[in-house]
Amino acid sequence: MTQPSTPSGGDGDARALPPSAYVRMSHVLRAGLLAAIAVLATGVVAYVAKYPNQTSGGVLGANPILQYLSLSGLVNGIAQGHVEAYLTLGLIVLVATPLLRVASGFYYFQVGRERTMAAVTITVLALLLFGILVLGPALR
Amino acid sequence: MDIEFFLLLLLVTGLVAGLVGSMTGLGGSVVVIPILVIIFSVPFPDAAGVGLITILATSSATGAAYVRDHLTDLRIGMFLEIATVPGALIGAGLTVFLAHRNFDDALLVALGCVLLAIIPSSIARRDIELPVGVVPDARSRRLGLSGHYHDGPLDRDVPYVAGDTSPALGVMFGAGVISGMFGIGAGVFKVLSLERYLGLPMKVATATSNFMMGVTAAAGAGILFAAGYVNPVIAAPVAIGTAGGAYLGSHLLPGLRNRTVRLLFMPVVAVLAIEVILRGFGLP
Repeated sequence: MTQPSTPSGGDGDARALPPSAYVRMSHVLRAGLLAAIAVLATGVVAYVAKYPNQTSGGVLGANPILQYLSLSGLVNGIAQGHVEAYLTLGLIVLVATPLLRVASGFYYFQVGRERTMAAVTITVLALLLFGILVLGPALR
Repeated sequence: MDIEFFLLLLLVTGLVAGLVGSMTGLGGSVVVIPILVIIFSVPFPDAAGVGLITILATSSATGAAYVRDHLTDLRIGMFLEIATVPGALIGAGLTVFLAHRNFDDALLVALGCVLLAIIPSSIARRDIELPVGVVPDARSRRLGLSGHYHDGPLDRDVPYVAGDTSPALGVMFGAGVISGMFGIGAGVFKVLSLERYLGLPMKVATATSNFMMGVTAAAGAGILFAAGYVNPVIAAPVAIGTAGGAYLGSHLLPGLRNRTVRLLFMPVVAVLAIEVILRGFGLP
């Protein structure tokens, strides 16, 4: 029978994240997923109701997302009852959920005064935001 | 095809992908992307974008339980994301760059080859329940990359420590590039890095890989999404189905997980990979 490794020299236990960190991150994941699915499911039902004569070819032939990728475009689209804008909002919530996870990690490392891990986490968050807000639009 | 039937098919595709993805740890997009390309003729970058949405749904659906049960090592996961996230940004950026230059077919051939390459690694994967003799390097000691979890079947706490972080970071960067470029989770490579180089126990490696897949996918999806390569009408039913399938796979069918499911599933991946390669070469 194999024996477990021994954390020789490691000080992870001394600097372990508090149990509440795990519970809250679990809640963040669940809440984010449920919110996204609720918005997406409502949007899909609304899409079928609004476009009963739509076909698969029509969906595949036109991607409406570009007009909802700016904040003003998204808000106006939702305000005007565009189902595609609503679906885009659901996808944004889904993509944002892991970002909230990383932000939670930064908070806990910062509170625990772990500067290196806090710096690592905020760098990851900055890279994610750079990709979404700068690199992605630049590649459009 | 009628819109109701079309959306229902996408929902079922997501359901199957989520179910299989959560049970095999592959994330489900290895099913979704080929099906979107082969059956629905979705262009590759758009299919990759939906694939990453699938990974996000799977990771969030299964991750909540893993994190709550302390199987996910948040410290190690977040440390390694410093490598996977830049990799995913580069990979997704490369896909958009190549798609703009009409290299979709070359990307399809490359995707098929990556899927075929995953198969032997996935079958040969030897999960090490409790690794022995792991010696932490200086970085692992400095950052405290160690922990413990309660193993139910063994009925005791299992301590562990991360070993060699440099090669692990290198493999993670490569996994990020593959994930972002092809829209897959690259979980095989992540688990390989976590088990082989860091010496983490199987359960911690699997849960931490799942946690990381969500963040890596968010990086790739963010690029493809912001570049306009995610069709919300296609992605929405797939995401809903995937979340449902992943929930079923991780909560209701735990006894079917692991190697057996991977072995059963690999022939399907092989057929899809060959179909994708043929499509890339313009063959029916």
